Amino acid sequence: MSSTEARVPAGLLNPAERELMERTWRPRRGLWGWLIATDHKSIATRYIITAFVFFLLGGIEAFMIRLQLARPENHLLDPDQYNQIFTMHGTTMMFLFGVPIQLAVALYLVPLMVGTRNVAFPRLNALGYWTYVIGGLFLYVSFFLNTGPDAGWFAYVPLAGPQFSAGKRVDVWAQMVTFTEIAALTAAVEIIVTVLKQRAPGMSLNRIPIYVWAVLVTSFLVLFAMPSVALASTAMLAMDRLVGTHFFNPAEGGDPLLWQHLFWFFGHPEVYIMFIPATGYVSDIIPVFARRKMVGHTALVLSLVATGFVSFGLWVHHMFTTGLPQLGQSFFTGASLMIAIPSGVQIFCWIATLWAGRPRFDTPLLFVIGFIVLFVCGGITGVMIASVPFDQQAHDTYFIVAHLHYVQMGAFVFPLFAAFYYWFPKLTGRLLSERMGKWNFWLFFIGVNVTFFPQHFLGLMGMTRRVYTYLPETGWGPLNLLSTIGAVMIAVSVVLFIANVVRSLAAGLPAGADPWGAHTLEWDTASPPPPYNFAHIPVVDGLYPLWERSPDAAVVTGMAAGKRQVLVTSVMDAEPESIYEHPGPSIWPLIVALTIGVTFIFGIFTPWAFLVGPALMFAPLVLWFWPRRKEPRERGFAEEPA
Amino acid sequence: MSTREQKVLDVSGLPTVVFGPKALLWWGTLGFIVIEGFTLVLAVASYLYLRQNEFSWPPGRTPNPDLLIPTISLAVLLVTTYPMYRADRAAKEFDRAGVIRWLLIGTALSGVACVLRWFDLLALNVRWDTHAYGSAAWMVVVMHATLIVLDFFECLVLAAMFMTGRAQKKHYPDVSDAAGYQYYISLTWLVLYLIIYWGPRVL
Repeated sequence: MSSTEARVPAGLLNPAERELMERTWRPRRGLWGWLIATDHKSIATRYIITAFVFFLLGGIEAFMIRLQLARPENHLLDPDQYNQIFTMHGTTMMFLFGVPIQLAVALYLVPLMVGTRNVAFPRLNALGYWTYVIGGLFLYVSFFLNTGPDAGWFAYVPLAGPQFSAGKRVDVWAQMVTFTEIAALTAAVEIIVTVLKQRAPGMSLNRIPIYVWAVLVTSFLVLFAMPSVALASTAMLAMDRLVGTHFFNPAEGGDPLLWQHLFWFFGHPEVYIMFIPATGYVSDIIPVFARRKMVGHTALVLSLVATGFVSFGLWVHHMFTTGLPQLGQSFFTGASLMIAIPSGVQIFCWIATLWAGRPRFDTPLLFVIGFIVLFVCGGITGVMIASVPFDQQAHDTYFIVAHLHYVQMGAFVFPLFAAFYYWFPKLTGRLLSERMGKWNFWLFFIGVNVTFFPQHFLGLMGMTRRVYTYLPETGWGPLNLLSTIGAVMIAVSVVLFIANVVRSLAAGLPAGADPWGAHTLEWDTASPPPPYNFAHIPVVDGLYPLWERSPDAAVVTGMAAGKRQVLVTSVMDAEPESIYEHPGPSIWPLIVALTIGVTFIFGIFTPWAFLVGPALMFAPLVLWFWPRRKEPRERGFAEEPA
Repeated sequence: MSTREQKVLDVSGLPTVVFGPKALLWWGTLGFIVIEGFTLVLAVASYLYLRQNEFSWPPGRTPNPDLLIPTISLAVLLVTTYPMYRADRAAKEFDRAGVIRWLLIGTALSGVACVLRWFDLLALNVRWDTHAYGSAAWMVVVMHATLIVLDFFECLVLAAMFMTGRAQKKHYPDVSDAAGYQYYISLTWLVLYLIIYWGPRVL
């Protein structure tokens, strides 16, 4: 390490330098400033808000499904609308809310938690966001033009193929997938590189917060899962529909099951892409509210990594009714049961920490406890349907709908709400109302159980998923009505949350830098954080940086206040290696995203779009990277010319 | 008010231009290589999965792919690794003239590989819409084609940056990363060439 340690008087940046730093990092004002922004907090905040809007849209669609099913022989929606709405609900929740919001929260928190000033590739970050927005808008504009996808959120062929789904509805779905995959993959690369190479000095790998571990594992999952669905939807399904390829056409040697394999090779890890960051929230929130360190830190981290690996060995359990070889069934049953082990380890660690601590039952912890209860329920039904004989009875019934919603709502949305309540003060500088938060929690918790618990019985009674309506003689009416009443409670709870946010933004109590007495680095800076995150990068000397900080803890000096510099450190031990200057704000990521939009949207109609689109992309891409200055400004080269 | 001195870690002596795993962009490039590489793995897996549905491969009367042009194409891509290796070495020595010379040679060869790729597709002796075999073979070859086109333009723009004097010291590691990317697409093509053009003769 070429750096040196020395003792200098306190007050490291003088006022002029601090002013220079403020000016260097300050975002541009106005619409133009908003369009060219590359600060991770700015991008992530709009990412979170956009994803939350999609959550509301997906929620409205869910509510319409529940209204349609509230009584037998209901015709509130017509069958075609119903097909579009359940497809839009699943698609929105999985592709436009679930994955994006987890990555968005990570893009906000990770640089703060590891003690750096921005994500590794700020312009790529902006590109990912714009691509995601274009994909989401494209889906919803198509939906409002009565071209919403209607073949289910996993678009099984042959239903989704050219023979049974004429028109452009499925193409809209396939290309929307491409947009969201591009966004997720760029975010994953940024997160991985930020975690591996931009940690504060001293934050060796064994000292990174569990949440950061969780999003690191998640990002690797994205890297290996997303290509599968992108290949299946863009290179195969869309091409079967556009240029007459035969990937899924059995008459010409194609295979519909290939779609299922590729889709679920992505689709099952996707569940963990949403779930693993959620366990990360829980593992960072529990110590704060239990007021003690986490029990079994190493076991928790190993469980996260194990969950990541095993999640790729489960995809075939979605296909137990497709006639698999016996050995295949046994293997995937075993793998599906095995994933309960690392999940169980995590649950025991959380319970032990709460047990051994002095819990403070504020709203974030309530949502965490709600999560543990619901996740155990969803996990138990998961173990049930991992068994092939049971799955063959329950497959495609409301039992599965109940299971997946217990897992998604319980193990993903509840921790996410815990995270909202916990980190909202950091994002805004304001506290949310505890009283409204507790109403929010109890309505949500009771509502989820009232909505989804009866669906187990409906499934066992034979109600199939995606059924448009049913006859009174089936006896499904009362439980469906109960389920709809639960949905009303969830809706009221979400409205209450929005009211809480609005009230807090207008008149919430000031939060200060660290309202919770927390342990991770993001609470070491102002709320909301300044554009450069930390005036001086902290030097970390423990697993709980704010709880274990020694009185003479060091901070980093020597970075130029007038440049957008970040400190690059070594992968394992976070030893300082170099200083890297980030590029500034730029309009080109937005322009490139627009050309990606042109390529894939027109690619629905003509294959020539895949030649014209990249040609349009060329100039903005060159301008993105083209240096504007002729004179080199660097100092201190790593390797001198020979 | 405490006057206790603040302990500091002074990093002002650290370099601002580094190569290889020390550089952020090297990791970013590696990330995208993993994504593209794994997509190709899945494409090949799909190609082999579809093989199960046919008695022969290629199915029916579809002829085997030709070997001449794809073999030349492979040779061009493998030869391209040499000028890119030299460009990498020149970059590490901050030798602008060397970087320009070897990048231009690499770019020219890469351009030849792009043109040959069209003939690689014709050498498959099947259309994409004939049957699933044709679809899968075209998909694999076209996907790899996008990588060599990308590589060609990356080298071209880098060469232009150095020739116009716009390149700064911090752009030398980009040349190094471009060379690494070129090695990756050449070696990938070696594997894909064996599977797509020789595979039907043994599968």
